[in-house]
Amino acid sequence: MSSRGGKQKKGNVTSEQEEEEQPLQAVLVADSFNRRFFPISKDQPRALLPLGNVAMIDYTLEFLTSTGVQETFVFCCWMSNKIKDHLLKSKWCRPTSPNVVHIITSDLYRSLGDVLRDVDAKNLVRNDFILVYGDVVSNIDVSQALQEHRHRRKVDKNISVMTMVFKESSPGHKTRCEEDDVIVAMDSKSKRVLHYQKTQGLKKLQFPMNIFQHGSDEFEIRHDLLDCHISICSPQVAELFTDNFDYQTRNDFVRGILVNEEILGNQIHLYVTQDGYGARVSNLQMYDSVSLDMVRRWVYPLTPEANFTDQQGQGCTHSRHNVYRGAEVSLGHGSQMEENVLIGRDTSIGANCHISNSVIGNNCTIGDNVVLDRAHMWNNVHVSSNVEIHQSVVCDGAVVKEAVRLNKQCVLAYNVVIGPNLSLPEGTVVSMHHPEEEEEDDDDEFLSDDQEVGHSKDKTRQKAFNPAEVGPEGKGYIWKASMNDTEDEELAQCLWGLVLNPDPESDSESEASEESQDRSRSVSPEIDDVNAFQLEVLGTLQRGLEENIVCDNLVLEINSLK
Amino acid sequence: LQMELQAVLMAAGGGSRMMDLTYNTPKPLLPVGNKPLIWYPLNLLERVGFEEVIVITTKEVQKMISTDPKVKLDVKMKLDLVCIQEDADMGTADALRHIQQKVKTDVLVVSCDLITDAALHEVVDLFRAHNATLSMLMSKAHEFTETVPGQKGKKKTGEQRDFVGVDGTGKRLLFMANEADLDEGVVIRKSIMRKHPRMHIKTGLVDAHLYCLKKSVVDFLADNKSISSIRGELVPYLVRKQFSKSTNSPKVIDETHQNLKKNDKIQISSRDEELLHLTQERSCWNDHRGDMSDAYHGGRLRCYVHIMDEGICYRVNTLAAYIEANRLAPKLFDEPAVHPSAVVSERCLIGADSIIGASCQISDKTSIKRSTIGVSTTVREKVKVTNSIIMHGVTIEEGCNIQGSVICSNAVIGRGADIKYCLVGSHSTAREHNSKIAPEKRLTECHRAEVNITYHYKSITYNNCHKVSK
Repeated sequence: MSSRGGKQKKGNVTSEQEEEEQPLQAVLVADSFNRRFFPISKDQPRALLPLGNVAMIDYTLEFLTSTGVQETFVFCCWMSNKIKDHLLKSKWCRPTSPNVVHIITSDLYRSLGDVLRDVDAKNLVRNDFILVYGDVVSNIDVSQALQEHRHRRKVDKNISVMTMVFKESSPGHKTRCEEDDVIVAMDSKSKRVLHYQKTQGLKKLQFPMNIFQHGSDEFEIRHDLLDCHISICSPQVAELFTDNFDYQTRNDFVRGILVNEEILGNQIHLYVTQDGYGARVSNLQMYDSVSLDMVRRWVYPLTPEANFTDQQGQGCTHSRHNVYRGAEVSLGHGSQMEENVLIGRDTSIGANCHISNSVIGNNCTIGDNVVLDRAHMWNNVHVSSNVEIHQSVVCDGAVVKEAVRLNKQCVLAYNVVIGPNLSLPEGTVVSMHHPEEEEEDDDDEFLSDDQEVGHSKDKTRQKAFNPAEVGPEGKGYIWKASMNDTEDEELAQCLWGLVLNPDPESDSESEASEESQDRSRSVSPEIDDVNAFQLEVLGTLQRGLEENIVCDNLVLEINSLK
Repeated sequence: LQMELQAVLMAAGGGSRMMDLTYNTPKPLLPVGNKPLIWYPLNLLERVGFEEVIVITTKEVQKMISTDPKVKLDVKMKLDLVCIQEDADMGTADALRHIQQKVKTDVLVVSCDLITDAALHEVVDLFRAHNATLSMLMSKAHEFTETVPGQKGKKKTGEQRDFVGVDGTGKRLLFMANEADLDEGVVIRKSIMRKHPRMHIKTGLVDAHLYCLKKSVVDFLADNKSISSIRGELVPYLVRKQFSKSTNSPKVIDETHQNLKKNDKIQISSRDEELLHLTQERSCWNDHRGDMSDAYHGGRLRCYVHIMDEGICYRVNTLAAYIEANRLAPKLFDEPAVHPSAVVSERCLIGADSIIGASCQISDKTSIKRSTIGVSTTVREKVKVTNSIIMHGVTIEEGCNIQGSVICSNAVIGRGADIKYCLVGSHSTAREHNSKIAPEKRLTECHRAEVNITYHYKSITYNNCHKVSK
């Protein structure tokens, strides 16, 4: 910690009253710094992707505003202009907005670490602030967590630098995604985080002994927590990022603080909410779950009919079984909207359709005899008759022709045309961008480059669409689903994320081995001891014979072996 | 209760951690509040209605119980004394194996050094409610406040802590290990965390060494001769086994039923097991939240623990615990502090928190505070006894000042001795050589070992004591 930190401390203690009056600030990172949503995010930054027909960043801003944040710094990098345009048009930039939004753009941000270092360099935060990503959907009231955080900082002289917000949800919960699964060891009384680990791919969880050493005699190991990616940070957090230039992510930070706890004396605490909702849309699996949770009203009061973005024509009606209809929606004869369906304005649906658990955007046309289950359709999508779509994402402007079937986890990116008469296998990703074009851009290791994607368009145009893949009239390139790749890194990067598959049988092997260990352990100790002793004695006697050791000395030696 | 559980009392331990006290008196017969230690667990069992108890003990103890008039066990239960050889070095599990023939139902195993006012039904209820394989009693560890003779300063926390993991309800036992075995840190399988996502790890607990065990566990012990201690090996083994697959998977149950003996697996079948299984299948009751899988996740082996939040729970296995137990013992039973047969002079002062044993003689101008005086002890004039434990048959001559000390049976304290924080050993076989602390000597904070030497050579006492002043 620099001397600056020291000054800050003093300042905080003396100006306690000021502290109370200062507006609550938030840092919103509107970039994910990874390519999980490629190729979708080639055309639209992740924060602007619609969820329940509202851009994700609007949920985040609404959440911040409703918890009392008065000043928000939005940091954008990838496609920052689009985000900026969106925000300038939104209600957040109206003069009446209770939450003042500052947009800070830079192409140089490569990670969360860079953003926070910039926060420190520009000296933006004066007090405890909330740190979120632009893809967090939440209705948690963090004021209590904030209170606890402030209280801790007052009592413990600024030792606690961060309070992470978690939601309690048992393992196997739908909105928990495997790759974000964490295990936390905490002190039951002080709620202090002692150990924080991602559990992906681990069979055994190991907790070093040193975390159990200090004072307390009661610890808790929790695997029932969903990381909401909402953190309440002290101003020191930004400084710590500056001091440790190798911190890139929050994960680095948390691990670093916990490991260096004894040296730096910083601590991290957690706050667990039981009834709030909070999740980060980190992959399409999460997108699917969060979108449905939204329609099922788990994020109340952020519901589709609330029209919290306050935009003209976005309103919709809510009827039973969670069916929402926007303005000017036409529904053909014999079509059924079973449950959890949201339909945007000016959308027309043909006859004899079955729609359940789906979100359909604005200005879409859907033909006859269409079956939609867990389909997420964005705006201006055209679906012809006799189409079946299961758990898939269809982006803006896509066209699905006659008799196409999208199996689970398909993605049709912007302006793709598919069909007719085609069945896309599970996990197919189709985009207008050629996959190789992406690789050319790939020189840069860091993933949020704001390079103009279009520059290589001429080249890609030359490559013809493959009718076997996208249908005779199709337009688009298949992105080889990295799911099939065996490399683990690739696997972690795939669009949908790992399917949460609690496979209890999976660890049978280790159990079996442990069992045999048990056996040998339970049988061995005594026998082993006896054997070892016998061998030793034999060895000693032989040596004694060879080296002519006096008998008394041998007796002494053997006695000492016992 | 009798039909359901058989009580087994383990009273063969030597008390290796307080050798000074057990040098002559076997641990089960050490006087605590002028009652032999073994009385406390027996009384505990009697209070809840046991009519018979199997007592595993040594020949020596058996002989003393039947002959020594000072060892009076006023219990109405039928005691079935089973002797084991002292030199065989048998552990508690060995002892249980030894009496396997006598075990007809599930057993409740109690250690003889347990002094507690715990509600025993809590432990048994857990055992019944969950059809558990094992249920046990634990308590928050107590700080010993009294100064322990021969120990300088505070007892260092050198003892290794036990790590006990329980689930969110605080009842199910998920993890158990001693700090000494955790070189690589606490390692927990993810599958356990998935089933029990919230695990509390507690380190400040004492194991009361009170276990309810299924009969099948006793049978299992008979087949597995390598396990010799209940606490050291059997309990950790059972806790681990809860989550191992071979005993849990429903597919192999049928096979396991047949192959159990061969596989050395624990057989959990009893006569109504089939019926229970059916009920579990039909019932929608579930012991956990978050998913709809079977109760207990289909596991057939379950360990539970009842953790006492308040109340008395001591294991008298160290000198410090012994002293603490003596201080608290009077609160556990209401009997007159001064035994009717004791001869107590009117001109002496006896504090309300002291106990005077039978046929004691307390002379004039004596003051006794916060102390226990054993049977047939003679205290002469002008003696001051505070915070001390005086065992049976001790003679304290005139003008002695005894503070914070333990005086073992049949010792003689010479005239005018000033004894502070000492442990004075006993030697019942050689009456002439009883500990005699020479008159006018002050012994302060002696080392235990050194005091033990006192009863042979006075001169050595003089030289070896740490602080000797005239």
